[in-house]
Amino acid sequence: MYLIELSNYSLVVEGFGNSLKDIYFTLTKGDACAIRAATADAYIFIKALATLVGPQTGTYSYMGEVIDFSDYRNLLPFKKKIGYIGLDSAMLSNKTVRENLLLMRSYFENSLSLDIDAKTLRLCRIFNVADKLDMRPGELRPIDLRIAIAIRELTKPFDVLLLERPEDYFGYNSFGLFNEILKDTLEHGHGFVFFCNNQNFIDAFANREVLITDGTLVKAPI
Amino acid sequence: MEQILGSIGRKTIKSVNHVLDLCALTYRIFMLIFKRPQTGRVIVRRVVLEQIYFTCVEALPIIIPIALLIGSILIVQFAKYAGHYDLGKTTVILIVRELGPIVTAFLVILRSATAVTIEIGYMNVFNEIKAFEMAGLDPMWIVCLPRMVGITAAVCCLFIVFDLVSIIGGYGLVWLITNIPMGNFLDQIGKAITAADIAVGIVKALCFGVIITVTSLSHGFNIKKNITEIPVGTSKAAIESIIFCLIFNIIISSIFYL
Repeated sequence: MYLIELSNYSLVVEGFGNSLKDIYFTLTKGDACAIRAATADAYIFIKALATLVGPQTGTYSYMGEVIDFSDYRNLLPFKKKIGYIGLDSAMLSNKTVRENLLLMRSYFENSLSLDIDAKTLRLCRIFNVADKLDMRPGELRPIDLRIAIAIRELTKPFDVLLLERPEDYFGYNSFGLFNEILKDTLEHGHGFVFFCNNQNFIDAFANREVLITDGTLVKAPI
Repeated sequence: MEQILGSIGRKTIKSVNHVLDLCALTYRIFMLIFKRPQTGRVIVRRVVLEQIYFTCVEALPIIIPIALLIGSILIVQFAKYAGHYDLGKTTVILIVRELGPIVTAFLVILRSATAVTIEIGYMNVFNEIKAFEMAGLDPMWIVCLPRMVGITAAVCCLFIVFDLVSIIGGYGLVWLITNIPMGNFLDQIGKAITAADIAVGIVKALCFGVIITVTSLSHGFNIKKNITEIPVGTSKAAIESIIFCLIFNIIISSIFYL
């Protein structure tokens, strides 16, 4: 069974490249797929995989279940299983970084405990944001904010991780560190789709590539 | 002529659509109260308390002096021109039935409705609502419902505070600083006020709370892309809330008193 399957998926978003035209895409467990495309096309494709935009025609199936995009509430159980580190990812500005990192746990476990688990704390220490946990996102440097978002997504119980331009997202200093963390975090059963212009990153993580040209998808095995 | 009619028609359809959207949003939020999802209850409870604190407790230093000023000036005018026999009844009619709920609603609109629209607009523009959704959290349950419960509870509490302060405080202020004969003012109030007056005031406060919240949330969610839409949306939310509150005030007064 495919983790994600897009069939005859078409999507036009004004101002964002060629959009997607009648594409077929599958992702299985353990797949790590690199996207080669113009920035806008890759952005839309990753947003489509994250269910942040819905298809105008075609279907999106997650673990064999066709997702109904007619109501945002139908998407929530699927979104919960998708890690999304995109350039437009955000943190809640009226909560501290700690509260943001604990948000899912607070919600699903009905707990207001402010104790961060060991894995999250370890990542915070590695990326030097442990001393900023009680600050609001607006008080952080942009790079620290992006790192905090990445930590939040990496510690989420995801099946699929979507990553957009990590080389820009993390900056020169943290990018290498992130690569090491990512290797540890990605397990055998995870799916991974990313858009990156760094060939070393692609070589290290991807086991296949897809090329999006003029809104259509072309498979390009490595 | 056709163009004018067309323009009127389009505006009418747009307005009706907007009112229907507001009704749909109200229905969705109310349904959540009955569905009572198990997850996220502690967060919802916390946001409700925060909203009550911001809307009610922090508004007390503003509403108390306003209630005192309005109450005392009205009582002076009534005492001078209405005659002692009507003083209690006139005060009840004007303050408890009409001015209390509507002045409270106006204050909440100025302080909290605008804040809610700005907050939601900001969250929408900067993808924070999407951040909720990507975590699997329902924004309607975690953002909208607590604000509705918090603001509605706050309007009810502020209405009671306004009535008490404007009547008792206003009377005290007039008694302290003027020589106007007041007779047995508080006795007259006690005789004039009925349970129905208080109940209608509470009903009005409840309706105003819901109207203010839904209108400000709706305008906040309509802000999609640009931060420059936020002041426009905020202004629209405030004006619309005032108009809807006035309309509902007339409807409720007509139902109960005509």
